[in-house]
Amino acid sequence: MKFSYFHLMPWCFANEPDQEWPVSNRGFIPERGTELYKDYIDTLAYAEECGFDWIGCNEHHFSPYGLMSNCNLVGSVLAYRTSDIRIAMCGNLVPLLNPIRVAEEYAMLDVMSGGRLIAGFMRGIPHEYVAYNIPPGESWERLAEAYDLIIKCWTEPEPFGWEGKYYQYRAVSIWPRPHQKPYPRILMSASSPESAKFAAERRAIMGMVQLSDINAAKESIRVYKETARRHGWEPTADDILIGAHTCVADTADEAKAYLGEGLKYFYNVLSGGPRTAQRLVVQKTRYYHDEAVQARAVNRRTVLKEIPIEERIEKGLVLCGTPEMVAEQIVRLKEELGHGVMNINMKIGNIPQDVVRHSMKLWAEHVMPQVRAL
Amino acid sequence: MSAFTKSELSLTTGLISCHEGGQGRPLLYLHSAGGLRLSPALEQLAESYRLYLPVMPGFDDTAKSEKLKSMIDLADMVAEVIDSKIKGPCDVLGYSFGGWIAAWLAVRHPDKVQQLVLAAPAGFRTESAGTTAGESEYSRQMMFAHPENLPATQTSPEIVAQNRAMAQYYRGGMTGDRDLITRLQDIEALTLIISGSKDGIIPVENVRLLKERIRHSSLIYVYDAAHALDVDQPDRFARLVKEFLTRGEAFIVNQSGSEAA
Repeated sequence: MKFSYFHLMPWCFANEPDQEWPVSNRGFIPERGTELYKDYIDTLAYAEECGFDWIGCNEHHFSPYGLMSNCNLVGSVLAYRTSDIRIAMCGNLVPLLNPIRVAEEYAMLDVMSGGRLIAGFMRGIPHEYVAYNIPPGESWERLAEAYDLIIKCWTEPEPFGWEGKYYQYRAVSIWPRPHQKPYPRILMSASSPESAKFAAERRAIMGMVQLSDINAAKESIRVYKETARRHGWEPTADDILIGAHTCVADTADEAKAYLGEGLKYFYNVLSGGPRTAQRLVVQKTRYYHDEAVQARAVNRRTVLKEIPIEERIEKGLVLCGTPEMVAEQIVRLKEELGHGVMNINMKIGNIPQDVVRHSMKLWAEHVMPQVRAL
Repeated sequence: MSAFTKSELSLTTGLISCHEGGQGRPLLYLHSAGGLRLSPALEQLAESYRLYLPVMPGFDDTAKSEKLKSMIDLADMVAEVIDSKIKGPCDVLGYSFGGWIAAWLAVRHPDKVQQLVLAAPAGFRTESAGTTAGESEYSRQMMFAHPENLPATQTSPEIVAQNRAMAQYYRGGMTGDRDLITRLQDIEALTLIISGSKDGIIPVENVRLLKERIRHSSLIYVYDAAHALDVDQPDRFARLVKEFLTRGEAFIVNQSGSEAA
């Protein structure tokens, strides 16, 4: 099994839960921001020493939930701070962006890293559409067209133009072209059957960066595999990425306490604004075509917020405990879902940096040897 | 009601049918191997151009000419259409099989062609990829991304078969015209090459080859269109052709919202 060390780069110094959207930046302290970026980038570079196969980050806007409005900036630093590890951009939020720019920046990252990029083509969390003023009902069509256009940018040897519904360009010829041929492996979100189908049709790795429901994950995987077979290819375990909030500590109680506090901050403080905006977008637009998925999405973040830590562990939604316990949880999850890549997020909310570092060390020394061969 | 009227034209090779209609600068349109389809895209072009649409002899139930035996013969005949009907050089739009004729026309009669549009052009196949148009379900998928856009009344199967036989006759069984490919660099006209992003008939390598060889050219992909650009995306197709013909090489510059210089 492969493991990806994933980071959201959260802001850790907010005190009050903020339910407004967008979240006011009056409480942002630049000096602390500088320290956080340094810590977070050091941590991501350390993941390579800990034996992780990928490092991952993503894109979020207008809230302390994540400080990466453009994760490609972080990716470019990581290209030179690491040497062999794959660099997974689990953003960009393609429908919100200029596809030519995405093609260019990803190509730069791939060349700078010597061909280590895994290119995420994400649709984004609904509230991001408010941030960049893109109609949420256009998200699928924009993603589909942008996908085709970006692939053209990467593979077309002659200058070309594009006459589309959302994008029109008359003369394109990106420099550089990607290092990997024909182009970097693509990762797409597959947290609903609709998105799983979309990913399989394009032979992308399916990703559920944060597991929220085992049965829903099984259904997405089923749809992904079925669609892939209909399109003439057979996915392997390596085509399926599953993510979980993770804390490894010397004792089970310690791990539970740290993760419990971190999750409280994550759901109550960091997710308040996004939750409010998400509800608005999902209820008032055609972001989700399927009504059942829409109904689930409206409540998803609220429901997740209320689940006690013990239940999360029991349901396999988080990895939490001593190294032995976490290794067992990974085995159990693998048996359930059959995935080949795990997305490990250890900086949950405001869990202190030294706790995160210790968790990584325990992971490297005691968890990894037990799960590597899975 | 159709924007076009039909008349007979007497040439040294015999009589041919020629439709025409619309207002503006002359634009000569050369049809595909399926015959002449007076599509909504052509009607849109007729809003800005005077369109001339000759029917290649033997197509659409017209008489063959014993004097016309090859793609080069057709290109020379089209040159005569320009002289006798349009009476001066003009813009030329060739679609698929018509793109093949248009390219020969630009090579052999450069003084008669102003700007050239090659839409999903046939004749430049260098490998075995792609397919030729036919009646199977597979062929239909390669041909149309939006078959629902096809008009209710269509050409009869007998005429379609006859048209395909004529196309085969003129191209002498070739799908790649080596002589023409070696002369592409002779084309001086400012050229727009258009390809559907889902075209299953013309391999993408063919349009790239044209872009590489034709000195003053642009290659544009029309998203969500297969081979039948005019059926799948009539608005995008017509807009692109109009902007190219109106603004020439400056059509790559976005001038929406401002006065064109």
